[in-house]
Amino acid sequence: MKNNLRIALISKDCELSSQLSIHIESKGHQVIVFNNESLVLGYIYSDPPDIIIINFQFSETNFHGLISEIKKDCYFGTIPIIGLIDENTHNNIEWKDCPIDDFITLPFKYNELFSRISLAKNRIQRIFDNNPLTKLPGNTSIQKAIENTIGAPMSVCYLDINNFKPYNDTFGFTRGDEVIRMTARIISNAVRQTGDGGFAGHIGGDDFVFIVKNESAEFVCKTIINNFNIIVSDLFEEEVKHKGFYIAKDRQGNENKIYLLTLAIAVVPMNTPQINHYGKVAEIAAELKKYAKKFTESKYVINRRKR
Amino acid sequence: MVNKVNEIKRIVQDTKSLPTLPGIVLKISKLAEDDKSSVNEIARLISSDHILSAKVLKLVNSPFYGFSGRVSTISNALILLGVNVIRSLALSSSIFEIMEKSVVGLWEHSFGAAVAANTIAKILQLPDAEEISTAALLHDIGKAIIKIKLEEDYNQLISIIKEKDISMIDAEHEFLGTGHPEIGEWIARTWFLPEKLIEPIACHHNVKKSVIHKTKTAAVHLADILVKASGFGFSGDDIVPRIQTEAWDKLDLNEKILEEIVQETEDRLIEAKNFSLEIQTSGEKQS
Repeated sequence: MKNNLRIALISKDCELSSQLSIHIESKGHQVIVFNNESLVLGYIYSDPPDIIIINFQFSETNFHGLISEIKKDCYFGTIPIIGLIDENTHNNIEWKDCPIDDFITLPFKYNELFSRISLAKNRIQRIFDNNPLTKLPGNTSIQKAIENTIGAPMSVCYLDINNFKPYNDTFGFTRGDEVIRMTARIISNAVRQTGDGGFAGHIGGDDFVFIVKNESAEFVCKTIINNFNIIVSDLFEEEVKHKGFYIAKDRQGNENKIYLLTLAIAVVPMNTPQINHYGKVAEIAAELKKYAKKFTESKYVINRRKR
Repeated sequence: MVNKVNEIKRIVQDTKSLPTLPGIVLKISKLAEDDKSSVNEIARLISSDHILSAKVLKLVNSPFYGFSGRVSTISNALILLGVNVIRSLALSSSIFEIMEKSVVGLWEHSFGAAVAANTIAKILQLPDAEEISTAALLHDIGKAIIKIKLEEDYNQLISIIKEKDISMIDAEHEFLGTGHPEIGEWIARTWFLPEKLIEPIACHHNVKKSVIHKTKTAAVHLADILVKASGFGFSGDDIVPRIQTEAWDKLDLNEKILEEIVQETEDRLIEAKNFSLEIQTSGEKQS
């Protein structure tokens, strides 16, 4: 663990804030104090801290909006949040609506707080199966998410990037990683923008999964493809963009025309009797993808078969 | 002088955010309240403000996301950051308590340069029109740093300019030992902005210095001059420099096409003026 952490402290109680700051800073950490909620998100987004401590005491708001906003984002959701909570009130809290990582009762001992900070940091690293490159949930979470939607009016969508391997080989893995990270952002933002939950995960390499309501599926696919095309056009030189391909060695070492990066998405609605287990979803998706990949442009294909 | 330059460098290193006009933030917060407000509308508003645009580009290019130096337009930043992040970022922006003339003037000059650059890119059919306008919007970010972070020096500069009737950049070199293009370059590098934006910022007063992005730099250089010539906004002095030969050649200009650009820019600056007045009055109403 890093020795000096950047800690955001949100507290109305100025006296507690200044005492806490002194103690935290004496350990070599850095503290940024907020006495109201309004500027916190902007700060977290522009300069993410390592830990967030929220004092629930003396506060009319319950910070639910703020906390869920942070936890919903796959990037910022991995920042541990520790609540400072009055001894008598913590059993009244509905933890489902208040997804913080740990709490400590007031008045607290500083030693305990520091241990909890350290524990929270380590626990996050342990329990998240998020992909280290994109920070999106990994395979365990994906499988769970898919199994939970069997029979529901939701669509599981498998996405991959066409011509990614030659791009990676030609321009180097740093540039390849950039494309993967950008794709992850495009997917998770498009899913989030629907406003009704959904899920975005990273299987590995250039393979992703997202889950949205059936009625949003087409719109999300279109948004992702559209945004991907806009972003990708920035990754190629003017001349390559114009021609629509570049020359590079393929896997056999032969010089070949390589087309620009595009997407193939297979959309599998889950409320059909045909789908009865996790493996079946991937099997149908693989078939659909084969078809989607026949085109030189980005394509999404929806499974229309009912049985 | 060396000490002064080092002091400015240190200030640039420590600059995390800059305040902007209250009118813009107010307008964005109104848009943000409405869930259905379009992403494009928010992008358009941000693209009119050099400070907010710099802030958004700083965030999307920060090492945290892992594509430093790659994102050069507000619309791409919006796609990659997502609407929620952009909203909160805009809403949490610090604002000027008092709308000083010089602040509004520099805001107008920057916005006007973006409008002019966009016109230039369209008429000359240059690739990457949005990047060219973004670079023009940010071209005087160094002046914003001087104005906001080195207030006393800025006032000194203004009196030197009046006294000696010299340009801002000459006054800067005389008094600070460096100029706003360099200061702008430092901040752009500190914030991991793409080279496509850094070069026009760094070389808009000396197109010859530009190496890779000469066309963009030339377009920003021309936009800066056109907006000064039109009298829109205030960038510190009233001197209209000559169009440098390098820029003229690189853009393949001639009298006729320049006239067309000037005419079109003038027309669009009228709209820009209306927008500016709207922003200024909505900012006043709030206070």
